[in-house]
Amino acid sequence: MKLVTAIVKPHRIDDVKDALREIGVGGLTTTDVEGFGRQRGHTEVYRGAEYQVDFVPKVKVEIVVEDDDVDGIVDAIAKAARTGKIGDGKLWVSDVDRVMRIRTGEMGPDALSG
Amino acid sequence: MTVAGPAETLRDELSALERAYALGHHGRSVAERRADLVDACIRALFSDAGAPEGVALVATGGYGRRAQLPASDVDLLIVHDDERAAASVADALLYPLWDAAFVVGHAVRTPEACRAAAAEHLDAWTAMLDGRPVAGDASLADRALAAVRAAARSDAPGFARRIREAAKVRRDRYGSCAHLLEPDLKEGSGGLRDVASLGWLSAAIGADLAMGGVLRAREREAADAAEDFLIRVRSGVQLLTGKRDARLIAELQPDVAREVGFVDEPDLPAPDALMRAIFLYARDVEHVAWLAVERIVGDATPPSYPPRDTASVLASLAEAAEAGRVPSPSLLDAVEAADVPEPVRWDGATRVAFLRLLRAGDAGAAMLDVLDRIGLLGRYLPAWSAVRCRPQRDPYHRSTVDAHLVTTARRLAEMLAQGDPDDPVEAAAIADVDRSDALLLGALLHDIGKVGVGGHVELGAAIARETVEAMGVGAPDADLVVFMVAEHLLLPDTATRRDLSDEDLLLDVAARVGTPARLGALYLLAKADADATGPAAWTPWRATLIRELVAKVQRIFDRGQMGEELAAQLADRTERVRELLRDQPERDVDRFVLRMPRGYFLATDPARAADHARLIAAPVGANEVRTAAVAGSRTETYEVVVVAADRPGLLSWIAGALALEGVSILSAQAFTTDDGVALDVFEVEGAFEPEITERRWRAFRATLRRTIEGSISLERRVDDKRRYYAAPRLPAPVTIRDHNDVSEFSTVIEVGAPDRIGLLFDITRTFADLHLDVHLAKVATFDGRVVDSFYVRDGLGRKIVDTDLLAEIDASLRARLES
Repeated sequence: MKLVTAIVKPHRIDDVKDALREIGVGGLTTTDVEGFGRQRGHTEVYRGAEYQVDFVPKVKVEIVVEDDDVDGIVDAIAKAARTGKIGDGKLWVSDVDRVMRIRTGEMGPDALSG
Repeated sequence: MTVAGPAETLRDELSALERAYALGHHGRSVAERRADLVDACIRALFSDAGAPEGVALVATGGYGRRAQLPASDVDLLIVHDDERAAASVADALLYPLWDAAFVVGHAVRTPEACRAAAAEHLDAWTAMLDGRPVAGDASLADRALAAVRAAARSDAPGFARRIREAAKVRRDRYGSCAHLLEPDLKEGSGGLRDVASLGWLSAAIGADLAMGGVLRAREREAADAAEDFLIRVRSGVQLLTGKRDARLIAELQPDVAREVGFVDEPDLPAPDALMRAIFLYARDVEHVAWLAVERIVGDATPPSYPPRDTASVLASLAEAAEAGRVPSPSLLDAVEAADVPEPVRWDGATRVAFLRLLRAGDAGAAMLDVLDRIGLLGRYLPAWSAVRCRPQRDPYHRSTVDAHLVTTARRLAEMLAQGDPDDPVEAAAIADVDRSDALLLGALLHDIGKVGVGGHVELGAAIARETVEAMGVGAPDADLVVFMVAEHLLLPDTATRRDLSDEDLLLDVAARVGTPARLGALYLLAKADADATGPAAWTPWRATLIRELVAKVQRIFDRGQMGEELAAQLADRTERVRELLRDQPERDVDRFVLRMPRGYFLATDPARAADHARLIAAPVGANEVRTAAVAGSRTETYEVVVVAADRPGLLSWIAGALALEGVSILSAQAFTTDDGVALDVFEVEGAFEPEITERRWRAFRATLRRTIEGSISLERRVDDKRRYYAAPRLPAPVTIRDHNDVSEFSTVIEVGAPDRIGLLFDITRTFADLHLDVHLAKVATFDGRVVDSFYVRDGLGRKIVDTDLLAEIDASLRARLES
């Protein structure tokens, strides 16, 4: 099993959600996050007054999936999140040792299905 | 076979009691019956223990008040003057109860220790004020309890102040049952602990509160009714969960609502009706408990003038709020007796007093609560009754609609009084919006449309309009209030869900908002609204996005790209385009209006736009070129529009093809539809003869098409053509300037150069070489010299801030234009 984590622009999240639903992803977790990559924090000037924007707002998407589904999901997220402009975000895949559905105690892929 | 002891018998009796009443009907009387059963068990156990002398058993806390709930602890005090006897009674009592799985809270004290414990801990004191002898030495119990009561009676105002402090600590920690969506029915403000405090206060004055003149009969009755209902609900929670939980979490509310007897109504689902009832009762408890404390403390100052009518009622409360005082019992009595008709007929003095209350921040909000509890707020604001105590079901809100509205107005008043030094956007907004009355009213009414029938924004704007009209608020303020209500979601929704690098989106927001003052009002409201929603709503995440939006829209205003006038003009023009296209299917017209950038409609005559709509209606093939020419704005000029699939360099090819065909460009505007079709509009004239024939247009289309296909080299042909014409006699210098402060989205590059054939071609292909997009070109020719402005963006659609690239643009243009 794999954990797919993506950092995307806030306004792309609905498209990402729709794209994942379309390929049958049954659940995901999103978090409002802030950070910076090449799109740095910066000083904004608002009508003469300066204020610091240290981090850029993004949304983090996390999905735990079976190995075979990873490629389709990565494609779907990347396609839905891409605007071609700077700050489109990042996406990575990591290994997952164990998954449990807390309510039933189902483990592994059983805990992911449905 | 063992004979069941008293504890097991009690267990059975309590189970039978549980079954005897529906789960949602375990009210005060059932709680009393439960306490009686516990009494009997305690007495039996005491007698089994040999009923030793020198020991008394006293029920304390809820059990002492005969309000024993299904899963609550049994609080027991063992009073003694013989430690050994007490220890044996404790063993004989507690082990059987523990074995039967009862949770028994117990204390073992001498009468003197009782007094010491009361002096040390308020909780111990109040638990013993609830004390009730159950078994054993009655005189011993009376001695202990009398001392504890006497301590409270010796300084009733001081005791009431301690109760007030403790209530505040609880409110800060557990919140209020009067508006929180997951209230703590025991500890929350307006909950059962506040009901119990009435009993303690009554012990402190040595009489029933109503008899002692502290509460009016109606107030006492309201508290009793509330207690019965809250016990029913809390008992229901305990019976459902089997735990002593006091928090009514959202998950339990549907079941509790059903058991207590609520049903779904069209505008109020059963769980909401349950919560609304809890809020109403808890408000009574909060109000009555507060009144009782304040009347006993008695340090409230009487008002300088007595409230008699609609205006002076508000003025007297405002006066108290501004002085940071609690309204005295006599003031409240006078407020209740004042002549306030339903609905209130507003006049200037009433309005001024009401706004004073709103401006008074926290203290003013407390006075609005007072008006609400007395039942007067709805007379001033008839729309209030529909949002009063109404729960909101979403992941963000924690309060009822009415509590949220009061809190939002309070937060806005605080912002006006003392701005956030770290928020320059807020400071600028406060400076811009000189209508603080409207701001406060807008905050107070922003969710007034949340009455349970969907779409709250539109409905809210209509209700707000009625409300401010009834209040007699003048037109500019009234308009701003209605605007705030109608658009209070615009900034947060746009900022968190839409692409803030989309120019048309920002122009649309600017058009809807219209002025910096209105933008400021929406920002202040968005911030106050989020602050009032819950601790997590105004996060840096959200604040950053909303500020980015506000800053971008403000810069659009600053540059005059959009404003009230332009918004009206834009609306007017698109309307005229629609009229001119009446013969077309509406869907196609909508599509056209959405397809074109906003700047297009501002720059294009509606009649031309209608022509363009027809020209680009059919899908444009990859190598297709469409043109249409009409008479231009001056004599012997033409306006020609060129439509083709957009691609890098297209503008330069059009310019080159026009030059080849002997057409001079006087001005150029390049637009791109949202689906990648270029629509470029040129004002042109014949370079050699005034008339440009259709044959010449045809030749131009052919040249452009062959260039797009890659079958001819425009560059070579333009160079060839140029060779036949002399260079200008007086070569003027080439000037190049870049500006990044003119537009939010484009870098403006200004090029001055001597006119020559194909000049625009040379400039635009230089841009194309550097992967720059030209979004707008303004071309002007004076006396053989050309001054052109180009709105350009880099390949990723951004302004050009990289100084190396700007230098490269400068050098490349010079190289080409000076050759």
